Amino acid sequence: MLGSSFSADTSGSRARSALAIFVAPLVFLMAVGFVWPLIQAFVNSFHLNTSHGIDLEHWTINNYLRLADPLYLEILLRTLRISAAVTAITAVLAYPIALFIARLSPRAQSWMILAYVSPWLVNTVVKALGWTLLLRTNGVVNTLLLQLGIVDTPLRLLLTETGVVIALVPGHFMFALLPLWTAICALDPALSWAAGTLGATPSAVFWRIVLPLTLPALIAGLVINFIMNMTAFAIPMLLGGVRNMVVSMLAYQLDLISLDWPLGGALAVTLLAFTLALVWAGQRIAVLGIAGRAAKI
Amino acid sequence: MSLELVGVKKSFDGVRAVDGVDLSVVKGELFVLLGPSGCGKTTLLRAIAGIYGIDSGSVVLNGRDLTRTPMHRRNMAMVFQSFALFPHLSAFDNVAFGLKSRRVGGDEIDKRVNEALALVRLEMLAARYPNQLSGGQQQRVALARALAVHPDLLLLDEPLSNLDARLRDEMRVEIRELQRRLGITTLLVTHDIGEAFAMSDRMAVMREGKIVQIGRGADIYHFPANRFVANFVGPINEFPLTKVEQVSGRVLGLAAGELKVWLPAETADHSVETEPRLILRPENLRVAVTEGSTDNSFMAEIEDVVFRGGATECRLRIGALKLFAILPSADAAALRAGDRVTVGWNAADGVVTGAR
Amino acid sequence: MILAFNIVMLVVVLAPVVLVVWISFTPTASFVLPLSELSLRWYREALSYPGFVDAFFLSVEVAAIASLITVAATFLAAYGLVRYSPKAAPALMGFFTAPLLVPAVVFGIAMLQFVNRIGLYNRLLGLVLAHAVLVIPFAIRSLASTLRGVPEELEWAAMILGCSRIRMMLRVTLPLCARGLVTASLFCFLLSFSEVTTTIFMSGPSLQTLPVRIYNYMSDRIDPTVAAVSALVVFISLALVLALNMLGAFRRTGSRLYP
Repeated sequence: MLGSSFSADTSGSRARSALAIFVAPLVFLMAVGFVWPLIQAFVNSFHLNTSHGIDLEHWTINNYLRLADPLYLEILLRTLRISAAVTAITAVLAYPIALFIARLSPRAQSWMILAYVSPWLVNTVVKALGWTLLLRTNGVVNTLLLQLGIVDTPLRLLLTETGVVIALVPGHFMFALLPLWTAICALDPALSWAAGTLGATPSAVFWRIVLPLTLPALIAGLVINFIMNMTAFAIPMLLGGVRNMVVSMLAYQLDLISLDWPLGGALAVTLLAFTLALVWAGQRIAVLGIAGRAAKI
Repeated sequence: MSLELVGVKKSFDGVRAVDGVDLSVVKGELFVLLGPSGCGKTTLLRAIAGIYGIDSGSVVLNGRDLTRTPMHRRNMAMVFQSFALFPHLSAFDNVAFGLKSRRVGGDEIDKRVNEALALVRLEMLAARYPNQLSGGQQQRVALARALAVHPDLLLLDEPLSNLDARLRDEMRVEIRELQRRLGITTLLVTHDIGEAFAMSDRMAVMREGKIVQIGRGADIYHFPANRFVANFVGPINEFPLTKVEQVSGRVLGLAAGELKVWLPAETADHSVETEPRLILRPENLRVAVTEGSTDNSFMAEIEDVVFRGGATECRLRIGALKLFAILPSADAAALRAGDRVTVGWNAADGVVTGAR
Repeated sequence: MILAFNIVMLVVVLAPVVLVVWISFTPTASFVLPLSELSLRWYREALSYPGFVDAFFLSVEVAAIASLITVAATFLAAYGLVRYSPKAAPALMGFFTAPLLVPAVVFGIAMLQFVNRIGLYNRLLGLVLAHAVLVIPFAIRSLASTLRGVPEELEWAAMILGCSRIRMMLRVTLPLCARGLVTASLFCFLLSFSEVTTTIFMSGPSLQTLPVRIYNYMSDRIDPTVAAVSALVVFISLALVLALNMLGAFRRTGSRLYP
């Protein structure tokens, strides 16, 4: 009887069938809505696109080879360039801001964190609109720069890579800020005190104690930040335009305009593989930080 | 290196954690700050180290006024309750940390680190990381790290609380011996009375941010300044006192409204408190079947005899008054609940304090 | 000095959103910052534009259905994982948070091809499915944490007193998780409501959620009307964020939000 599976005993074989029942709906949802589509796209990428639809008879790696086209490589390079710039800026900004927040009163801290997180919860199209208004030739930024006399003519920021970088930095900042802030808050204050009483200046305390112990968290966050930069769509599209194409815009082109799904699928799979490799590498670096040295013995 | 604190005050969010502390620590002594949790002892220690700045007062070490000096220039060293070992550095590098901060040369660093590790008998584990060391070993590394910099003042914040009981006793002795051998002026904070008595040259009892008594452990135990100190450092019997008067050169009082008791001679010297109490240590009570020879002696009935190993606790009733005595078990062997006995004490063994 | 720097950064982060909201009140037809006079003119425009109104209702519909499905399924799964603690629990948790590892673009492409294949292109069910999957990682962490906060002894007490596990879950566990369930649902709703990239890729031309509609509009032209409707989106999102904040969704256990 089904009811007996749900007894108080949560171990043993009866419990296993109960567990299966609890977990089944979500597993089904994931299988149908996540695993299957990804597998489909993966499979599709090994077939050729024809005018009559996808040729399911023949298998080929042609799509992947086509991705090495110089045109596409240029797009890839641009995407890497933009993403690296954003991540680099984020890396520099992360510590000063995280340290500042961590030293506020707990209530002030949660409001600050909320402030940095909330843009992520407002959709990126609205943010793109905001940045468009800010960076236009007669937008707020240019008006300010002109009035303060910093420039003589307005800067062209829209439809440039620079504009995209500027807009992406605050948009994805929280992915690096949050883990770093969490790590800083988790640090035993006695560690800093111990270092201080032993003679380390406040600056030395940061470089020799706080930084090494929180860097793994930041690195993990920067990896996520980089991935978000690489795969951003709305902001590069609306602020950079077709002349500054990035990988996600190429995907749009292939899948929704050219309707070359196998190629689009190949791009998606490659992107996914790249993402997973980055995450894995980031984790290795982070883990190697502390545990690696202790594992010497 | 002697330490002088004058009028030290520190508040957090309007709460006075340290409320006017004056203290002198003599060079080379191990001085203990004792008190219940929340009394301000840890705050005071951190203020001395420079972790907290003080609101008013001064901290002077061997003539140098350190009140405004940042903590990394005070040349003190502190061992924390959680040990605070740097998890990303080996034991060796942990101990070397203070030396590196002082720009000591490489060879000298090696020498002093090995010296310090030898003092705590941990030379073999120098290459290990904190997460590979046991609690006792971590504590030794923390100690070595503090000693390696040859500090003017050593601060210990509940150093033994995180160790299990057996280890605690071992480390108590080790730390004491080390401190004596090196002659480092040391300030130790604890809430454990046994620890305070065992390790201190002198101690201060703190309560609500203030020092209530300073002295040697034995003096504080036998001559507590007030009821709080008396009760904090050991179990007591206490009775309210009334009708204190001089009778032919001795002092007589009425305890709990019933018993006529002889009080210690000093009671008459200082004005008696508004609500005087008589405090009796259980080990000062003599319990015997026959009449005793003490100043105060009463008939009592035994309510309960509780065996506690080397000592036995005896719960008694004098009339309706309840009290308890602690006897060596050998002396208490024949006593049983219900026995009628004599309980007595010498006038000088009693302590008269106020209600607080 | 550091304070100034931090304030600047905060301003930069909040600027685009603040600007959109502010400009939406401009009385003129061009983007002039309304300094003296605030006007609701463009809000009226936005609300009378059927494209936006339809898109809004679609967004709400999709978000509501997706949240409901996900929270229900996730609650059961979280319950199983927390109470039965199988050896496979970490692996299953990892599986359920896998959508976080897949970039929105990649998932969008995969779903586009998939829904076409099974005939759900341009159909509500396809879109709901995608949104439901996207919010699973957030739901599972949040609900697992909620369930861990309900001591198992309470459930044993109820069962000893005669409840079957199912009845006990309905009468004991569920009520005690009420707050956590509301929080998780609101959070999923908010995420779905704000979802842009995947939706752009896989929803069809007649299935435009509000963010997608705004995106398409913006690709054509930018005028204060779109600022007004964006401002409305901001207000709704902020209201949800504040509600979530009051429910304690953003407490110091930062890892709840973040992967």
